[in-house]
Amino acid sequence: MSNETDIKNKIKSNSSLFTNFVKNAVSASPKVQNNFLDVSAQVALTIQKILEDADLITNLEYKGKDFWSENKCKTSCFVDGGVDKTSIISSAPLSIRTGSYIVKPDAADKNREFFEESMVFLGDLYDPKNELYDFAEDDFDEDQMLNKKKDGARIIFEAVTIVKHILLNRKFDYCFLHGPIEATVMPFTVMGFPTFTKFAVENMLPFYNKNKLNAEARHFINVYLEALNSIKKSKFPIYGIVETSNSAPYIKNLLFNYKSKGTISEKDFKSTLATIKNYKITDSHLLEIILQSGQAIKPLEVKKQIKGFSVTSGSAWEEKMDSFPSVHIGYIKINDHSAPIRIESLNPSKNLIKDYEYILATARLLPNYGFPVGLNVVDKFAKIPNWMSKASRKYYATHLLKQAIRSKDQNTISLAVKILSKKVRSWRNRPLGGLAR
Amino acid sequence: MNTKKWKSIGTVLGETNISEFYFSLKNYKAKKGDIITTESKVPSSEGKIEEVTVWGKISSIESTNVFFPTEAAQELTNENINIRDTILPTTRDELICKVIILGFTLKNNLKLMPLNYPVRPAAPVSYPSSEDVEALLISDLNSEHPLFIGSLLARDAVKIKIDADNLVSRHVSIFGMSGSGKTVMVRRIMDELLKKKYPMLVLDIHGDYLGFIQKQKKLYPKNEVKLFYPNLSVSSDDKEIIYTLIDKLGNSLTDPQKDFLSSLLEKVKYEGGSLLKYIELLVRKAREYASDSSKSFKNIRPASMYVVVRSLGQVAKKLKNMEQTNFRHRQKMSKLKFEELPDAATEPEKIINKGQLSILYLKGYENLPASAIVSILLENLFKHRQEVEEEIPPFLTIIEEAHNFIPSRSEDKDNLPSVDTIRKVITEGRKFGTGIMIISQRPSRLDETIASQCNSQIVFRMVNQKDQRATTRDSETLSVDDSKQLPNLANGQGIISGQVVNFSLPVQIKFDAELINDDIGNENFISAVENWDDKESVKQRKKFAKDFSNITSIDRRRAN
Ligand SMILES: Nc1ncnc2c1ncn2[C@@H]1O[C@H](COP(=O)(O)OP(=O)(O)OP(=O)(O)O)[C@@H](O)[C@H]1O
Ligand SMILES: [Mg+2]
Repeated sequence: MSNETDIKNKIKSNSSLFTNFVKNAVSASPKVQNNFLDVSAQVALTIQKILEDADLITNLEYKGKDFWSENKCKTSCFVDGGVDKTSIISSAPLSIRTGSYIVKPDAADKNREFFEESMVFLGDLYDPKNELYDFAEDDFDEDQMLNKKKDGARIIFEAVTIVKHILLNRKFDYCFLHGPIEATVMPFTVMGFPTFTKFAVENMLPFYNKNKLNAEARHFINVYLEALNSIKKSKFPIYGIVETSNSAPYIKNLLFNYKSKGTISEKDFKSTLATIKNYKITDSHLLEIILQSGQAIKPLEVKKQIKGFSVTSGSAWEEKMDSFPSVHIGYIKINDHSAPIRIESLNPSKNLIKDYEYILATARLLPNYGFPVGLNVVDKFAKIPNWMSKASRKYYATHLLKQAIRSKDQNTISLAVKILSKKVRSWRNRPLGGLAR
Repeated sequence: MNTKKWKSIGTVLGETNISEFYFSLKNYKAKKGDIITTESKVPSSEGKIEEVTVWGKISSIESTNVFFPTEAAQELTNENINIRDTILPTTRDELICKVIILGFTLKNNLKLMPLNYPVRPAAPVSYPSSEDVEALLISDLNSEHPLFIGSLLARDAVKIKIDADNLVSRHVSIFGMSGSGKTVMVRRIMDELLKKKYPMLVLDIHGDYLGFIQKQKKLYPKNEVKLFYPNLSVSSDDKEIIYTLIDKLGNSLTDPQKDFLSSLLEKVKYEGGSLLKYIELLVRKAREYASDSSKSFKNIRPASMYVVVRSLGQVAKKLKNMEQTNFRHRQKMSKLKFEELPDAATEPEKIINKGQLSILYLKGYENLPASAIVSILLENLFKHRQEVEEEIPPFLTIIEEAHNFIPSRSEDKDNLPSVDTIRKVITEGRKFGTGIMIISQRPSRLDETIASQCNSQIVFRMVNQKDQRATTRDSETLSVDDSKQLPNLANGQGIISGQVVNFSLPVQIKFDAELINDDIGNENFISAVENWDDKESVKQRKKFAKDFSNITSIDRRRAN
């Protein structure tokens, strides 16, 4: 067990907590600067003590060769979405792609791996009344909204991809999503966030038709909630894996639980939360110091959508927040030199240790990066310029022009033409991959 | 041509132009050297848009697995993990092919025309049927006299033919390292030309072509195959060659001695015939002059004359030796009928004749005399073609081990008489129907002018970089991608380029096993040893060897 000096050394020598602190030190008050080491070490020691008290730290086993020969029969699916790179120019129509990498290592070549993609255009996704071509007066607002639309589209699309796998009754042993299994929906509760088109919703969630798809039903919040509820019903385990966490949901919930039990006083709870905020301490930072390579902390059940928080307050959607499922979050520290990754699921794990060991093994295949390699693979897949597949390229081109011409706006048309005639990224400039040669 | 039946094998990528494009290939659907197509549109001269089939040749293929992270290899190695057990992608190798565009064809017309408009990115790439590829090649070759030589390297079913007219009127070089298949290729071409009764003359150093004699009755009943051994016969016209021979084969002479030699050649007239006889005559005459010095040569001391006499004697001895060696080799092949090479000046028709193949068996001769023989022979034959009467028909000369006859200047070889002759024949040959085929293992050692006059090339496996460079330097049609392939070719696989084809083609040459010389065959030393039986003399020697060695050892013992 680490003592205080150990912890301090760890903080100084190799933690992202320290790096992060140094980065922010300029803006921090002298007192905060002075106390950083002592305070963060003390927080770490305290949290460690609580984790041990609650028996939340667990050791995972990894024996590369044996592990894989025992698990080669498992079918895993990795899902990631991306914004189509070739179309990022100004506020031109954007396409969202989701890729699935499905692999069963011991299957014959023909059936060993599948790369599946689905693609959609924002213009097709959102209600035409909020056509992306309508330039807003304010560039900043326009960008903000565009980014939200992109995010919303990606989040929905990833969730829907998983739902499709479930609906098609795919026989997976595992399914992993690159990112949170349940995103914070707060940004999409702002006034004026467009609803999805009827066509889009029908296509995304064919079974979802309550209220005959009125505007409210087609809003992001409702569609996403519907998707999450289907994911929750999955027979196979589904995990969202998050690279780095820039908040502290685990620590805060841990402290909250202890406060509820009466183990921590209200006062201590409040002041510790304030300290965490002051020093910008996150789950990743702290657990990086506390956990050893190959260790995990068992999940806690956490509410993702917190009522009365920020913008949501007073919004028409406020009441809806309670309907969202809670999330089980845990962490695994893959190796010595990277922060632990966050593991999220909508249901409690039936085979927690086995599942975590599987995740550890997939991440050990990227020994430096320390992230499940299947997600890295599907990330690359979703980023490949889509003119590689002829059909999507053609679809894209005609779609873009049609949209532009329909808008009857000369600027838009010329923009579309510009994009179409723009030299696509040479295939040689693809993201690096393959064995170093 | 039914393009609908062609299999789709990939998709055109990214940026294209009118000379090449890249496409991503489906696994195992095509190989390097394959001919493929893509549908495209080009503007016609009347301003219409025409649907066309663009033909291309895969010049290189690269495979990458974009999804395989380099880091993973580290863990696999450290932990000794089998990649096939893990979730790492193993089957998503992406194959990118580079294609050299050959041209386009219109519907229902197989004439290949140069592409003047880029192919469409994202267009599907197809694998045309063998019949269609063959039809295209034939139609494109547009040859009155096609010669069958083998099949397209990547596709056995596609037969490859080359144009005989260009082959015999222009010149062809055949390069490749030892054992790569040059001679097999030449025999293939000769087989085809024999059937067309085209006269040929082969300079055969190793006896690689004697199979034609052995199989003449069976395979070429309508042809004549003649086998000649060289006879250094000279005429007074060949003074320069004779001088060079004596100068180079004999002892090295000082300037006054050289003067004497040339005056001697001036004085001693000769009507023509055996060079050896002439040299013997020169020896006699030189002796005479030396003994009564005062009369004919005032400035030259008799001592110098005797030096020349001795040198002439040397030359005569060497020539006799070579004749002897050649004779012994001929004797080994007692079943074959060798004839003395007729005088090409007076009886050229005995060498070049319709339907006749003449093989000049040069084994045993050193470079210089062999060069002299060839030079005199070709000069005379060429003269007969130049003359208005045309005493002999057009013919093809095949020069094996060409570096012996046309070495590069940089080789610093003696000034071989055959270099000038062959250079002349090759530069003017087109007019007179005296085509030449040069064969060599070492293109970098060949005379550059002559090599660059060969407008068709057949190149086999070649590892030496200098030779590769020389090959591409001399060729207008062999691409860099082609030359990269050279070290990887197997026996009998060559790249044909130049005027006998329209674009360079990798070809698997058909092997005519029947044309192998049975008497010499391929080097098979193992079975030679297995069947080895000591000669009588050796047996005798061996019989006593033990006794003698006993004597020696006993003798030694006593000495100690
Ligand atoms: N087209 C072919 N198909 C099958 N085998 C071949 C082919 N060409 C050559 N070979 C094999 O390789 C051997 C050597 O070929 P060949 O005599 O033509 O070589 P080369 O290039 O003339 O060599 P060198 O320069 O030594 O004369 C042949 O005897 C034959 O066994
Ligand atoms: Mg040979």
